[in-house]
Amino acid sequence: MTIDPWAMAEQNPARREALAYNARSFAGDVWFRFSKKPTALTGMTLVVLMALFAVFGPMLTPYDYDKQSLSMGNIPPYFAAVSAPEPDRFFYVTANMKVIETDGQGRLIRQLTKKTDDFAASRVSFEYNGALVYLDYGVNPPVMLDPDGRPLTAGKRLWNRSYLLGTDHLGRDILTRLMYGTRISLTIAFVAAAVNMVIGTLYGGISGFLGGRTDAIMMRVVDIISTIPLTLYVILIKVTLSSGLSGIIIALSSVYWVDMARVVRGQTLSLREQEFVLAARTIGTSRRAILVRHLIPNAMGPILVTMMMLIPSAIFMEAFMSFIGIGIAPPMASLGTMCNDAVEALRANPYQLFLPALMVCLIMFAFNFVGDGLRDALDPKLRK
Amino acid sequence: MRRYLTKRLGMMLVTLLLITLLTFILMHVVPGGPFTNDKQIPESVLSALRKKYKLDEPLAVQYLRYLGGLARFDFGPSLKYTGKSVNDFIQSGFPFSARLGALTLVFVLLASIPMGVVSALRSGRWQDALLMGAATLGVTIPSFVIATGLLYIFAFRLGWLPTFGVAKWQGYVLPVAALGGYSISFLARLTRSSLLEVMGQDYIRTARAKGLRETRVIIRHALPNALIPVVTVLGPTVANLLTGSFVIEKIFAIPGMGAHFVNSITQRDYTTIMGTTVFYATFLISMVFIVDLFYCLLDPRIRLE
Repeated sequence: MTIDPWAMAEQNPARREALAYNARSFAGDVWFRFSKKPTALTGMTLVVLMALFAVFGPMLTPYDYDKQSLSMGNIPPYFAAVSAPEPDRFFYVTANMKVIETDGQGRLIRQLTKKTDDFAASRVSFEYNGALVYLDYGVNPPVMLDPDGRPLTAGKRLWNRSYLLGTDHLGRDILTRLMYGTRISLTIAFVAAAVNMVIGTLYGGISGFLGGRTDAIMMRVVDIISTIPLTLYVILIKVTLSSGLSGIIIALSSVYWVDMARVVRGQTLSLREQEFVLAARTIGTSRRAILVRHLIPNAMGPILVTMMMLIPSAIFMEAFMSFIGIGIAPPMASLGTMCNDAVEALRANPYQLFLPALMVCLIMFAFNFVGDGLRDALDPKLRK
Repeated sequence: MRRYLTKRLGMMLVTLLLITLLTFILMHVVPGGPFTNDKQIPESVLSALRKKYKLDEPLAVQYLRYLGGLARFDFGPSLKYTGKSVNDFIQSGFPFSARLGALTLVFVLLASIPMGVVSALRSGRWQDALLMGAATLGVTIPSFVIATGLLYIFAFRLGWLPTFGVAKWQGYVLPVAALGGYSISFLARLTRSSLLEVMGQDYIRTARAKGLRETRVIIRHALPNALIPVVTVLGPTVANLLTGSFVIEKIFAIPGMGAHFVNSITQRDYTTIMGTTVFYATFLISMVFIVDLFYCLLDPRIRLE
């Protein structure tokens, strides 16, 4: 049996419907590839969670970043307490020999007032409900003694209910400070990235689009700036500015746009030779409109990737400067200053370092993952 | 080659000049002079101080004088420590920083290249996943977090290594590890991707086809080409190690230049800030220049550019 090659194909409207599909937009395509990558999705979820933590967290906590309660300093989130003479009351002895009374759930009630300090017996007495309890610091770790001088042994480990993540050396709530610190890091991330994007895109776009001598001069400037060690200059510029958040943002924005400018220039150079630019020029589009309406939108992929890669370094730079003491001024909490404060008492209170350090790492991870995912999604050719 | 060299040298001089100018301007727009103090200083004393440090002259004259000093490697007096010059700080601090930096650089090269090679040759297997996982951690975790974490574990909990100071060799272990963390991870990733690319080239197939052993193929044929990108980033790596040492020297109490720099900033000791910055910048730019020269010699294709 032969098939007639010229016969009309069978027309079936129902089948045609089934075969047709909606063309995916570029953004949809990018999202499809992005969402196929578990690390990228994890990163994005983390960023969203941290943004919520930083924005809404401070509204939910009863504390403030600078509210000190010196009697409640250096209390960890999880501690071993001994039973007090009263029922359902416990004592927690802090690293610097203060005695805190807590209830059975781990809510801190008060700091016991010290009555006498007997150096010879290495024993401190505290007033407790009309009687005296003692702290014997001749042994290590120190032991609490009841009013008759017998050691209090029974006890349990409690989670700190008053300050969920403990307090720092000035009795400030670490959870609250973490929220404000995260807020600063994220603000720096987004603002510095946006400012650098605008400066870099315009600079690189103009340089690449005009070409010729203008381009040569503008790129020489970029070459010179990029050989200057940028960290030094961020620090120097920061020193000359105010010690607030804006100082850091200006310092970061004034030097980090160089990479962006290079990327955009490269893109513009290759794009401006393409036919659609010629077409735009033929219908009399102004040069400014060609740059802003045609060239830059087409270079958006690499621009976004460069911007995402810039975010972690901006966050790192802020934490770095705050850590060496020239970033955000106290009492404002930045993750870097929190780490710095904790280093001095690292041996006694390691949790004060680990919490902000963990937060910095999480932020860095999240943005790196999102950046990598976005790079792979926007340009699968770049994938290694 | 010579044209390239002169061009690069000229660029370098222009950059250095710009750096000194920029530093000079930045230091003079700072609010609050170097003699601003909690105590009110009498006007006569202030003017005498200004005269002593020649701050009463026009800015242009001051700048030229400063440049003249730099040409003779004289960074001027410290404004906060009477009788000390910035040169004293550099002379006392630089040996520590240089030793720390050099040790770290050697450690970085010795650790990162084998890491990258192993993970490229075992790409897709567990060794690769493990090494590249570690490298991802290394590039994302900030150096001060690595440093304080190592300090807590090895010095406080285990007690194996000293917490600060570099009087004994053990004192260098933690600073070097913390300072090198980022660069090791970065270079390992670079070595891996570049070696993977080279291993797919035709000349590697040829080398195998003529019956060379695999180790020889890798060491003689693949690695020299694969390491070219690694050489190019050595300049920025050195820069990274030096600026990273600010925080490492602070944490481990090493009396190097980084520590001096950070101190001079918090004390607003302008001449020291300027001197140290100019010194650092010159050092880094020269390093990048040397690395570029080296790179030119390694890869003849560059000269055509």
